[in-house]
Amino acid sequence: MSEYDNYIDITAAVCPITFVKVKVALERTDDGKILYIKLNDGEPIQNIPRSLKDEGHKVVKIENNGDGTYGLYVVKNGL
Amino acid sequence: MSVALNGEKKDVGAEITIRNLLFKEKIKVHDYVTVQVNGEIISSKDYDSFVIKDGDEVEFLYFMGGGR
Amino acid sequence: MIDFSDEMLERYSRHILLKEVGVSGQEKILSARVLIIGAGGLGAPAAMYLAAAGVGTIGIADADVVDLSNLQRQIIHSTADVGKAKVLSAQETVNAMNPDVKVVAHRLFVDSSNIAEIISGYDFIVDGTDNFPVKYLINDACVLHKKPFSHAGIIQFKGQTLTYVPGAPCFRCVFPNMPPEGAVPTCRQAGVLGVMGGIIGTIQAAEALKYILGVGELLAGKLLVFDALTMNFRKINVNKAKTCPTCSEGAGIKLIDYAAPVCDLKKH
Repeated sequence: MSEYDNYIDITAAVCPITFVKVKVALERTDDGKILYIKLNDGEPIQNIPRSLKDEGHKVVKIENNGDGTYGLYVVKNGL
Repeated sequence: MSVALNGEKKDVGAEITIRNLLFKEKIKVHDYVTVQVNGEIISSKDYDSFVIKDGDEVEFLYFMGGGR
Repeated sequence: MIDFSDEMLERYSRHILLKEVGVSGQEKILSARVLIIGAGGLGAPAAMYLAAAGVGTIGIADADVVDLSNLQRQIIHSTADVGKAKVLSAQETVNAMNPDVKVVAHRLFVDSSNIAEIISGYDFIVDGTDNFPVKYLINDACVLHKKPFSHAGIIQFKGQTLTYVPGAPCFRCVFPNMPPEGAVPTCRQAGVLGVMGGIIGTIQAAEALKYILGVGELLAGKLLVFDALTMNFRKINVNKAKTCPTCSEGAGIKLIDYAAPVCDLKKH
């Protein structure tokens, strides 16, 4: 796992609350810093990277944890 | 000659005063209509003297008082 | 910074998903204070939508009780509320809709002696009243005390609204002379399609939310006129009147209770 400044686990949440929780975590993250998001396969991994990009954040790495979850590293307002 | 009245094109014949346009539009009470010509509100004391010209944009604004 | 519970995140999720709102926007809404003067045709839907949105403090000012004839359009009140003070009925509806909202019930008629103090506690005022003396008073008080407000009126199948923020044209710039009693028909005399309050009142709530969030273009310097029969909306640009007795430089407006002189003018 790489370095990050803030962390959120949304594997227990259901869309669209998944992205809502990500937004809350981003709010608590400074510009330019990295948020690590643990999310599920399926709707979350399909939609969240694109939603983040739409809002100006830069996804820098996605890790497949091999257990049905992914780890996503995003730079706040990094685009 | 035509003017835009409340957003709609209207044929008004020759140049016309505000007063006469109000009559033409069958507005009964003139004192409480706000008349705007080309973005400027014209005082009601000038309704008999102010002449509307070809291509002018005229708005008749009315009081609507209800809220309850 | 507000600590959002999971329940709040769920409740406001459709707001938070909006780029223009987000968590910080919803925090602004939850911290905002909006006063609605008149819990009637316009004020009722405005209050309900602002409550649903999570406006933290909603003031409602009205001295009247609920009347059966109100129910055709004042949807914040229901049949069981007939005879009850409007502000109490409204407060109950809002509390049931959203426990995050605090309702401040001002059971009174707004007049020149109390308006300055009442509006001082709010960020945005919604004029939901139905008579011109008080509409002019609200205009003057908001201009004098630099409070943004939404003006509106409805009658039969028509409605209109404009928003005042300091520096923009005020209501008196557009309508300098108050009509005497009897010169302009009221809903009681001429009737009104019930939904008109909903359409225009909700637009007023939208303006309040946009002001709170700081997004979009307000109806400042614009009179929005709607005709339900043709379904036409028109946005008319209106300018500050250089000699406006309320908002022009050095106007020195004093708040007074306008007694609309009775007249025998024919109605138009």
